[in-house]
Amino acid sequence: MDIELAPEDLAFREEVRAFFKENEYKPGEDYAQWRLDWFAKAAEKGGWDVPKWPVEFGGPGWSPTQHYIWEQETAVANLPWDMPFGIGMLAPVLMAYGSKEQQDRFLPDIRARKVNWCQGYSEPGAGSDLAGLKTKAVLSDDGTHYTVNGTKIWTTAAHIADWIFCLTRTDDSGKKQEGITFLLFPMKQEGVEVKPIITLGGAHSVNTVFITDVKVPVENRVGEEGKGWTYAKGLLQHERTGLAGLSRSLVALDKLKNQARTVKRGNATLMDEPAFRAKVAELEVDLMAAEYTELRSLASASAGAAPGPESSILKLKGTEIQQRIQKLTVEAGGLYSAAWGAKQPGPSFARSGMSGYLASRAYTIYGGASEVQKDVISKNVLGIKKSK
Amino acid sequence: MNFELSEEQQMLQDSVARFVQDNYELENRTRLVASKTGFSEDHWKTIAELGWLSLPFGEAQGGFGGNQIDTMVVMEQIGKGLVLEPFFASVVLGGGALKRAAGDAQLAELVPGIIDGSRQLTLAWAEEQARFDLHDVTTTARADGDGFVINGTKSMVPNAETASHIIVSARTSGGQIDENGISLFIVAADADGVTRENFPTVDGLRASEVIFKDVRISADALLGELDAGYPVLRAVANDGILALAAEAVGCMEVLYKDTVAYTQEREQFDHPLSDFQVLQHRMVEMFMEYEQCKSLLYRATLEAAQGDTPEAQRCVHALKHLIGKMGIFIGENAVQLHGGMGMTEELRIGHYFKRLLVIDAQFGNADYHLHQFAA
Repeated sequence: MDIELAPEDLAFREEVRAFFKENEYKPGEDYAQWRLDWFAKAAEKGGWDVPKWPVEFGGPGWSPTQHYIWEQETAVANLPWDMPFGIGMLAPVLMAYGSKEQQDRFLPDIRARKVNWCQGYSEPGAGSDLAGLKTKAVLSDDGTHYTVNGTKIWTTAAHIADWIFCLTRTDDSGKKQEGITFLLFPMKQEGVEVKPIITLGGAHSVNTVFITDVKVPVENRVGEEGKGWTYAKGLLQHERTGLAGLSRSLVALDKLKNQARTVKRGNATLMDEPAFRAKVAELEVDLMAAEYTELRSLASASAGAAPGPESSILKLKGTEIQQRIQKLTVEAGGLYSAAWGAKQPGPSFARSGMSGYLASRAYTIYGGASEVQKDVISKNVLGIKKSK
Repeated sequence: MNFELSEEQQMLQDSVARFVQDNYELENRTRLVASKTGFSEDHWKTIAELGWLSLPFGEAQGGFGGNQIDTMVVMEQIGKGLVLEPFFASVVLGGGALKRAAGDAQLAELVPGIIDGSRQLTLAWAEEQARFDLHDVTTTARADGDGFVINGTKSMVPNAETASHIIVSARTSGGQIDENGISLFIVAADADGVTRENFPTVDGLRASEVIFKDVRISADALLGELDAGYPVLRAVANDGILALAAEAVGCMEVLYKDTVAYTQEREQFDHPLSDFQVLQHRMVEMFMEYEQCKSLLYRATLEAAQGDTPEAQRCVHALKHLIGKMGIFIGENAVQLHGGMGMTEELRIGHYFKRLLVIDAQFGNADYHLHQFAA
């Protein structure tokens, strides 16, 4: 065991910093073009546009330490916006279970950020119990296509997505985990209707997606019919690992401290108040531990093990930490956190603090509610079986 | 020992509960939130006719002669309905300040309008640098001839947009954080030099930044005695805290009950969610904390109704701490147990949760009052 960064790791960190600096967005630039160029240049560096992809699909083949360095640096740099659905969620499934044709067809556009994907998983009746999904896909008599009918909900970015990867039910005669099929189809077509859901912070990021008689050619089915649950389960692990956001939390905590230092209390600031200070310190301690939990998980992943149930620990701890930071931001805003107008009185962070806090309440719900995550750990890690 | 409501209080409670039932379906409320003033003029007239606006005033002014217990009865129901009309700003804060400090002439001029709803009052106490300290006042009122000139900015003034009069705390002597040297003034909201920057708050209510620039007022605008406004302000803030706590308790009741109902309807894993013990225990905790908040609300309200004693003050600090902390605990868990649905504007629980967040920040948050309690 060793925590010193080797000279080559330090060199890598410098290289990453230099790359970020060189390719920074300059005011006045066409953002969309800059974004695509950024990823193209990252690709030229040898897979920096897809850090988590395996080498055989163009990934950089970094060591856990390099991944760690990358994540730390990305948290403080101003990177182009990106969405996890194509790069982080669908791509690994296609790599593992998709046909060669599907890989050739979809991966390049995902990598180039040309096509936006969304995830058709949850349904009004299937939330934590995802396997209870009912969106029906019926194979045509000639075996050429499926006809899909049903409703998906909480679909992030459905309103800007070009394609959806969608879990459908092709068989309801057996166990509910069986008979689920993984289909891909375009969003911009007749029969796909997207209705916004406005969440507590007033934001529109999630949607309901109504699917009516949508025809999906069989070549858009990933893997075998009825095996979709197995593929999706792998995908959920990927999703959960990505949700901890520890590097971002480190940055957010620093920001919170700076914000609290601007809140005056007599001759001192909010950061000098023992109660507030103690809560910040507790967060810091938890983050220090969670960072190493993540490193340990990264190390085992790089040794060839798939991200296992330990990723559930990260999601739980990571999201809880994010929520606590958001909550302290609201506390720091004091009475100004209540203001909700276009023009904001009080500290400049108060409005974003409140909307961030409200949005953060979903962190312990989506991607597997915390209560379900704990069930998974209890069953798979602790090995606790329910008696009959 | 008796925690039963009197017959009159029971009637009052029924009256507010019926008003809420008739007018405060979520859809109706959402419409009002989006309207110009953020509440209904018609409701305001109804509320005046029902007599709630006369609650704290003495019978000599045509009032009900109520105390903090009566206010609690009304505010708890207001909390259950998330009522938008400015009862709190006009009657509890504005009316409370008048009741405690106004002279006969001031009462005669203002109270009839408050009672019939044609006048609304509000209280402007907060300033940015003060955070939650009532005695940290930089707004000044300089003696000028036989009157005063007010300069300064007051923050997050509830319902100032529709108020006819603003009661403002201003420094007439002493240093920035001295308790002595603060005076209260009644200022017409449309007086020269008063600017109101109005905005919605996250809970659907309205507030304003109120800027006083060389606002000239006559000597009879002084509310109470010169330099001795702080004890009045503190007493009104205590009444405000009791009222907000009652409202919060009403919100908490809706949240825990809605959650118990929802988890019994919602099925996952072939069971109602309420079959899962981890959720049962969470809901039991929500219920327990609601009951604890209600108990402390009773304790603090009954103490305060006896008079402004040190024990009443201690209870008020304890109460504001507990309802702040537990309101957010209950709100967060109501959202969590409703899952994705809890995150939407379509269900009412999110709105109650947001109100509880704002209540925590008003008149000092949970940390602030715990600190005061321990001091």
